[in-house]
Amino acid sequence: MTKMQASISSRNVKSAAGLGIVALMCLAVSAGHIAAARRPSDPGSAAESVTRVEVALDASADAALITREGETRDALGFPVGVKRAGHHVVDGFENAEYDEVTELDSAGNVESVTQFDSKGRLLGAVRVDAAPVTGLRVAQDGAVKSAQRSVVAAGLAVGTPTSTEADQATGGWTVHWTRTQDGVRVRGDETRVQVWPDGRIQSVARSEHDLAAAPASRIGSATARQIAGANLDRWFAGRNSGYTIQKVDLEWVGPNAAFDPARINGVEAPYRLAWVTEVKPSGDAANDVWLMSLFVDAGDGTVIGGDFVE
Amino acid sequence: MKRAFMWLVSMAVAATTVAAPGQAAAAYDAHVWSNSDAFKVACLGVNDTYPQQLYSLTVTQLGKLGFGPVSGALGSGFTRAAVLGNVLSDWAVYVHSHGDNYWAASGAPNIDSGFLQDPGSGKCNSSKDIVRASSIKAATQGSFYNIVIMSTCMLGSNSSTMPAAFQIEKTKKATDYEFYLGYVYHTWDSSSLRFEKAFWSYVNGGTPGSRTLAAAFAYASGIGGYEAVSSSEPFQANWWGDPYYSGTPLRPVAR
Repeated sequence: MTKMQASISSRNVKSAAGLGIVALMCLAVSAGHIAAARRPSDPGSAAESVTRVEVALDASADAALITREGETRDALGFPVGVKRAGHHVVDGFENAEYDEVTELDSAGNVESVTQFDSKGRLLGAVRVDAAPVTGLRVAQDGAVKSAQRSVVAAGLAVGTPTSTEADQATGGWTVHWTRTQDGVRVRGDETRVQVWPDGRIQSVARSEHDLAAAPASRIGSATARQIAGANLDRWFAGRNSGYTIQKVDLEWVGPNAAFDPARINGVEAPYRLAWVTEVKPSGDAANDVWLMSLFVDAGDGTVIGGDFVE
Repeated sequence: MKRAFMWLVSMAVAATTVAAPGQAAAAYDAHVWSNSDAFKVACLGVNDTYPQQLYSLTVTQLGKLGFGPVSGALGSGFTRAAVLGNVLSDWAVYVHSHGDNYWAASGAPNIDSGFLQDPGSGKCNSSKDIVRASSIKAATQGSFYNIVIMSTCMLGSNSSTMPAAFQIEKTKKATDYEFYLGYVYHTWDSSSLRFEKAFWSYVNGGTPGSRTLAAAFAYASGIGGYEAVSSSEPFQANWWGDPYYSGTPLRPVAR
């Protein structure tokens, strides 16, 4: 079947489902077999409250922001739009507030998005037009140099990248600088640059969460391992499952709702110092989870969150 | 049952034929499936809340794009039979579960990608729960899909056969209203949740229909802050489809 045939076929079938929906519903009752899967139940309600609210900025009142955006755009080599729009954004999805300037083309399409925090510092800039298909592909070294130049030009301070990887989505490269505080990694936080295959910059981002004060005294990694193990022993008791603790690393982590539904959509708390215990399940549990982690607070030893690779 | 179904479709096609364009508001069915029982106390001794969070987010956001009714299941209603029995009428499909590029029945190196259905309340997953791309492809009968999101490990990799199950070519220059999103490697749930939140916030953040899914992908990918499983398995999402498609439910058009 060709794609066109497939499309025509689907159009008929799905038009039937749409335009003939009343008839279908009546007939379905009489047939008694065409019951669809159940409608989503209550769990959807929590997410319905998540919104992204944009309030337009006054270009004259926020001239400094607009100027800063222009400088960033030019430093990164982003296209110059025919007009710009500025907004203050209350982003319920990311639990963040920032100022955002978008560059728009003549048709009003977004060409790039640049965000600044409340202190006017760059949070991120990304061009959202399509990656070029030129056949060019800069080597990793060239991509790293391009990324380093761009972050410096954008006013961010970085040293040697932590890692660089090829990006399947664009055919280019992604360069990372992991954030550390007092020599301890901040989980997920980074400065990150996406480089197109031809060496141009697609995005620069600075992900940086607030950190709580470090605890006055810390539990050791052995104690954290014991705490995680006690939880895992209890969780896996009576099941045909086991586990191996692969590593226990001290990191700054965001307390999260991984094990606690009451915290879903809660206010994001500052990151805390924790022992991140990475666990490889075995037995039956390995059919369900490939990897999991428990965040054991480095101060009081409570489990404040975790993560799963399902 | 199949006879009844085909008869109903025939009746409905006839009804469509006589309907004037725009005569009735069309339904654009979407199904959101999230495996949760495999990640609950019965299997892990603890409840993993990510399946619920991702499910809730997607149900709401697909609805905002205009898909409806948005059906599906969080938990035991997510079965192979329910997926295959409903996929033909869908315009958008979302799956959150374990996913992988499994060897095909014909053996290596041929791949038949798949994901695991919910094992059912009080049960755990096994290999018997795999819902194969080949089965989905057969059930779709060549049908057209606007949005397919595989919120699983591996099904956004270049070797995935899941896009083809929905007739979506692995190109970023498609000319029809279609978009497939998946993750390339093993992926922490927190990273998937962060990415999908950013994706939806961008596409549903502007004037309806004014932004493209490809731009939403670029935005979500660009914000960074994604924890990687390891240096050899960085966080990476991938997409294929129409770079200009806004995500609004639309019928296929040759452009």
